Amino acid sequence: MTRIITRLSRTRRIASTLLSVWYAYMLEYRAEIFLWAMVGLLPLILMGLWMQAAASGATAFSPGDFARYFFAVFLARQFTAVWVIYDFEYDVVDGRLSPYLLQPIDPVWRYMAGHAAERLTRLPLLVGFSLAFFWLFPEARWLPAVGDVLLCALALALAFLLRFAIQYSVAMLAFWIERVSEIEKFWFLLFFFFSGTIAPLDLYPPAVRDAAMYTPFPYFAYFPAQLLTGRPAPIALGFVVMLGWLAFFFVVNRVLWRRGLKQHSGMGA
Amino acid sequence: MQAILRHLRLVRLFWSTSLAAEMEYRLNFVVASINSVGTLAGGIFGLFLFYRTGYRPGGWRWEEALVVMGLFTLLEGFTRTLLTPNLGRIVAHVQTGTLDFVLLKPISSQFWLSMRNFSPWGLPDVALGLGVIAYSAWRLGVAPAAIAAGLVPVALSVVTLYSLWFILGTTTIWFVKTYNVTEVLRGLLEAGMYPLAAYPAGYRIFFTFVVPVAFLTTVPAEIVLGREGQSMLFVAAAVAMGLLAFSIAFWRFALRYYTSASS
Amino acid sequence: MPIIVAEHLSKSYRAAAKEPGMLGTLRHFVRRRYRLIEAVRDVSFSIEPGEIVGFLGPNGAGKTTALKMLSGLIHPTAGRCEVAGHTPFARDSAFLRSITLVMGQKQQLIWDLPVLDSLRINAAVYDIPEAEARRRVDELAAMLGLTTQLTQPVRKLSLGERMKAELMAALLHRPSILFLDEPTLGLDVNAQASVREFLLSYNQRHGATILLTSHYKADITALCRREMLIDKGTLIYDGDLAAMIERLAPCREVRLDLRRAYAAEELAPFGEVRTIEGRAAHLLVRREDLTRVLPRILSDLDVEDLTVGDPPVEQIIGQVFNGQASANADVQTPTPGAAQGAAT
Repeated sequence: MTRIITRLSRTRRIASTLLSVWYAYMLEYRAEIFLWAMVGLLPLILMGLWMQAAASGATAFSPGDFARYFFAVFLARQFTAVWVIYDFEYDVVDGRLSPYLLQPIDPVWRYMAGHAAERLTRLPLLVGFSLAFFWLFPEARWLPAVGDVLLCALALALAFLLRFAIQYSVAMLAFWIERVSEIEKFWFLLFFFFSGTIAPLDLYPPAVRDAAMYTPFPYFAYFPAQLLTGRPAPIALGFVVMLGWLAFFFVVNRVLWRRGLKQHSGMGA
Repeated sequence: MQAILRHLRLVRLFWSTSLAAEMEYRLNFVVASINSVGTLAGGIFGLFLFYRTGYRPGGWRWEEALVVMGLFTLLEGFTRTLLTPNLGRIVAHVQTGTLDFVLLKPISSQFWLSMRNFSPWGLPDVALGLGVIAYSAWRLGVAPAAIAAGLVPVALSVVTLYSLWFILGTTTIWFVKTYNVTEVLRGLLEAGMYPLAAYPAGYRIFFTFVVPVAFLTTVPAEIVLGREGQSMLFVAAAVAMGLLAFSIAFWRFALRYYTSASS
Repeated sequence: MPIIVAEHLSKSYRAAAKEPGMLGTLRHFVRRRYRLIEAVRDVSFSIEPGEIVGFLGPNGAGKTTALKMLSGLIHPTAGRCEVAGHTPFARDSAFLRSITLVMGQKQQLIWDLPVLDSLRINAAVYDIPEAEARRRVDELAAMLGLTTQLTQPVRKLSLGERMKAELMAALLHRPSILFLDEPTLGLDVNAQASVREFLLSYNQRHGATILLTSHYKADITALCRREMLIDKGTLIYDGDLAAMIERLAPCREVRLDLRRAYAAEELAPFGEVRTIEGRAAHLLVRREDLTRVLPRILSDLDVEDLTVGDPPVEQIIGQVFNGQASANADVQTPTPGAAQGAAT
């Protein structure tokens, strides 16, 4: 019993230390983080286009529908942003991974803490941004139902883990090849097509939309946006698909991690 | 004249050496090409989503909107060939202190920072952009002479784009850690994929007067397609030259605040 | 006619201060506090053409800041400086062609390409005709002992080779004034020695003026006839190192190899005991007492060997920075003020 307690308190201590140090680090970079948040502006650009299209009556959506949808997509992207591949690649290439391996904690927690702390620093920015948004686009104002918000939060948490698992798996390739972050670029090509960032998937040809729901992509934009705005979404299917991909990439990641470490120590790095 | 020749010689030397350095990473060419094709396909698909229901954004025909998309791809190629490899590195220069070496060279530091590197990986974009423009112009029956005359507004938009980047890059003298400031600009410039007329009024004002995206793709397309007269050309020239002059003055001003990384 | 003049040169800047921990972070976030750092305070000196002058001082003393002001990278907060008749910060072309700045740990070479490519670029930037550039490359390469390394990518070179290549790139335009910031940092002893030799021969061949900072006292003693000591931004000594030793350490060091081990008390009557290691002992003896003390040592102690020399430079400099210039307790203590007086 006491052993469990000391274990727990150790975990708590590590977690809170990692978080607070990373939080301090991220605050140092708050100007940066503000800019990162701004980089995800593409949904808002497309929002303008679609609102204009809706105003001319070209779609079944109203301008307000589009505004809400793209606002939710923007938020979803803020919460699912992951950059572990760049950190990991840098650590492997620069030889900083080796000292981390000597510490009695899996390096993945270090990266996780970084991402979590960054989310915290982003939060106040998002509040400010949301206020500005609803002031600029009064037609978008709405109060989402509590159930929708909770469901969306759950979906976003899962989506973040999924995104992290996928990217961290690709990052493992850094053990074997140089410049793995180049591979990351391919992700964005497919993401652009299938996530629903450029338009709600409802506007796609139906066959494309149905196929997309079985890929991981819609779960970083379309799916959480539909949940938050209270529009119809295949909820059960969505969560099953997400969990399935998450399990798949978790296994892939652990296998690659073990093999990669062997390779790493083999090189004497 | 002598000075221009000297700078041209320098550019040739700069680019041949950085080409040699880039060739160490050949796989990049494949990656870059796939990326360019994929990005353009994504862009055209996005455009198709508007047109598939018969809606005409801003009253632009499909092929006319494709000219805008082609110009955007062309500028993206220019960005990858010259802007990112040069202006994207100003931050690193400031952070590591290698800007010191640049400042101590007896040539203009702005010239060095802007022209020092050349990355061939943007060339697929340039080729694709030109291809899309040529195809659409042919479909629209634009006279070859009009296309040739279009080189002037395109050159102006290149100058405008460069100046915007350089002005933002200059701010790193004060805010060392803002790597992403140019990425934000890139995000905003994505608005240039579509004709300005397709946006709501507020957006149109913002993208004309605050961040002059309009002058990058829409205005040159309008001039080439004959939607706008020659007077627009003068406006575009004034914007380009004004921003260029400002970027030069702003850089000189910023250098007075350069403190040089400690030790 | 001095080639470098500094008059009341000062530089101060603001730096944000943050306390550790979560609370410090938040406080720092809400309200930044700044400290005013006076990196260089009212420093004046002048240097004649052809001189090699060493800039000495602990980390953060202001050496690098001073060099950066002299090379025109940063603008002084107060005071003025003039280098080769130019105001450095204007950075006009003629000035830039006559100087160079080498920073030990910073690279201006192209990482992925052979050194020769970087040199070609510098030749073009400095407008050196190709034939002339080739001649200078050969000359510099011969002086530095570089040969095949010039055609290897920079990333494949050793640290010492890279530093030499860096010097080639910095000196291709044959500057008459060299600002060197830690030119031997991180190099092994052999590489350090060859860089030093090179600098000396460059100075002799081209009559160049050299101002260098270094942590390695060996750099300073091997190269410089004149040193400036800077501490907390203030110039506290300017002059010949030998004269400085004379002034600050009016003692000689007597090194004894004894036939048996002596206790410190047994040696104390002859001078201040610095170290005793087994049968070897170091004593400090005042210069004027030397002739009187030495015969007594030889007659009273069982001496196998005896040498007399200057105390190590490190020790003297250490004493200067600690504000106690005295090397010997029973010698009258010259105050730090006396050392400062020497600067003027």
